[in-house]
Amino acid sequence: MNSKQYRMSELLNPADGRSLVVDTSNGLVLGVLPGLEHFEKAVHPLLPLLDGIVTSPGQARQLGPRTRQEAALLIRADWTNALRGADFVLPPETIQYIPLLNPVDGLDLGASALVMHFILGHEEEIEAWCMQRVVNLALEGLNLGIPLLVDVQPIGPRVVLLNKAIELGVSYALEGGADGVIVPWPGTQSFKTIQAMCNGLPVWVTPANPEPDSPELAEALQLGAAGFWLDERIFAADDPPAILQALKALVHAPAVV
Amino acid sequence: MPRRSCEMKTGLQNRMDRLFNRHGDGRAICVAADHGYMSDVTPNVVNLRSTVEAVIAGGVDGILLAPGQALRLAHLFKGRDGPALIVRADWMNMPRLGTSNVTNAVPQRLLINEKVITAEQALSLGATAITVYLFLGYNDKVETIGVDKCARFVNECRRAGLPCIIEPLAYGGQVTGANIVEILTLGARMAVEIGADALKIPYTGDVDSFRNLIDVSGVPTLVLGGARSDNERDALELYAEAHEAGASGCLMGRNVTKSPDPKAMIERLCHIGHHGWTVDEALRGETWDFVRLKARPPLCTGCDLCVGARVASHGNGDYGLNQARLRIESGSKPGQHKVMFCTTCKKCIDVCPTKALRWHLESGAVELLPERCDNCAKCVAICPTQVIIHSEAGLTFEDGRSLDWYPVICDLCNGAPECARICPTGAIFIAQRPDFNPVLE
Repeated sequence: MNSKQYRMSELLNPADGRSLVVDTSNGLVLGVLPGLEHFEKAVHPLLPLLDGIVTSPGQARQLGPRTRQEAALLIRADWTNALRGADFVLPPETIQYIPLLNPVDGLDLGASALVMHFILGHEEEIEAWCMQRVVNLALEGLNLGIPLLVDVQPIGPRVVLLNKAIELGVSYALEGGADGVIVPWPGTQSFKTIQAMCNGLPVWVTPANPEPDSPELAEALQLGAAGFWLDERIFAADDPPAILQALKALVHAPAVV
Repeated sequence: MPRRSCEMKTGLQNRMDRLFNRHGDGRAICVAADHGYMSDVTPNVVNLRSTVEAVIAGGVDGILLAPGQALRLAHLFKGRDGPALIVRADWMNMPRLGTSNVTNAVPQRLLINEKVITAEQALSLGATAITVYLFLGYNDKVETIGVDKCARFVNECRRAGLPCIIEPLAYGGQVTGANIVEILTLGARMAVEIGADALKIPYTGDVDSFRNLIDVSGVPTLVLGGARSDNERDALELYAEAHEAGASGCLMGRNVTKSPDPKAMIERLCHIGHHGWTVDEALRGETWDFVRLKARPPLCTGCDLCVGARVASHGNGDYGLNQARLRIESGSKPGQHKVMFCTTCKKCIDVCPTKALRWHLESGAVELLPERCDNCAKCVAICPTQVIIHSEAGLTFEDGRSLDWYPVICDLCNGAPECARICPTGAIFIAQRPDFNPVLE
């Protein structure tokens, strides 16, 4: 096992190769997020229920000690204003994308992996910058043994075929050197294509509806998803621990033969 | 199971302590003296050395300088008791843009904000911390450049063990009076997510919104002062409000460096920040246990601000100038006014047959114990300035007894009379009550 595989095993349960991850890093772009006003207070009680938590570099420094039973630390390594909507206090007029953290600084913060966006559907140069960033992080990460997970975001106005855009994003991420991808649920057929492309690399699904009894979640796991990747909206839910507990049970349920 | 972390006294923690814990209270009164780096040549820029010497004599905890001045004035920072040096690590031209408050020699058309030195270079200058801007509201590109620059500094600073103070500023066409608080709060949180160790940020205009900003930031926050106010009290009140909201101190620039007496200004800020003095106490340079109201009638213009302020500052539901506990009367000649307020003469206390009136132990004002009052009106009648009035509503007690009205008596606004604070001419002012002891009296 090399150091990259070792770090991936901090995130993926070796028993079933799955994980439940919550991404809290959008505060970098959106500021104060509902339910995450007091970051550490909101996050710490949930850490035992998670396999991984994505934070901004700044919050990674504030997070405090974790035990080995708690979530692995994943750090957001880029920044974009593409996540802001038209109703945001500073609505984007031009889409911007920049790197935020290099792998050495990520390791220094104790990251088990770096996470970055792959933005599709905005100006062509944004895709080019994302591609450049994937390749750079993958190659630098290879030397340092830190995995790169790419969060495919087909959110631009030029996305016409959503499922095909997701497939394209995964393809770009893999060609660039990603060690795992995160995708919105693209539908059964596209997900099969993505799984075939990934050929064993983990694929997390960001559910539109994180209700544990959602048929979409069960299907994703049945088709080989590595687990679920939730965003900050979980903190605005009525009972986040209960939802995460149920999702954890679903993700790590013994396989039905 | 309790969480335990490995406590490491790193360079970062040591430097944070040097800046924020010089007095052991987690607060820092700092001065921004980097304006010559970005503004036009103004007197505070020309006289930088003497200004820096003055604020050091005043007890300043930290001084923000441009790299070149940090080199030149390094000898002023030496010694364990010397102030912390904060180095401005980036450059911008905002003060020279069109909406500037200075007369521009070479006006600028576009906002530029660039990284100038590295964290290592700042460290070699002897810096205890660096400060960098994060502009929001100008355009997407400037914001993105700012995020990129701040992230680079944070990473460099982390390697160097140097605190990185990020200064979010809301500036540009996207900023309005309606959204500026939201943008500043966004900027504060973004700075923390990027990895700021502390913030330097403008005041949001009211205690509640600034308290929220500090609350959601979770790192030490220094309030900046902005353009110099003509009234020194305004700058002190701005800081006092930020202090009340939970700020860890201030990093004030022109309100100190352009002050006629920078040393005194720093002393006043230190009294507020480190000793918890009120603005009035800081301005007069001493604390008084008890005060009384005094008047200079010739200065009164009859503007009635005191009456309005007194009513507005007592949110008891009764609103109307008739509920004020002081009044302004016309004098015998045109333009003359009589200022009528409680002189704490004690006649009401002495005349009360039920001992319903007494000195308030903390404010020194006359205090009514309603449960003892039988509204006999003797206090109203005896008041030589006739400022004890009937309440508009009555009171009902738990035992079923009720009062149709009760006497409303000046409470000296809990020891900080609002009428004296707001009087624009000083016609009403406060004076010390030496040797007054409400318990013995």
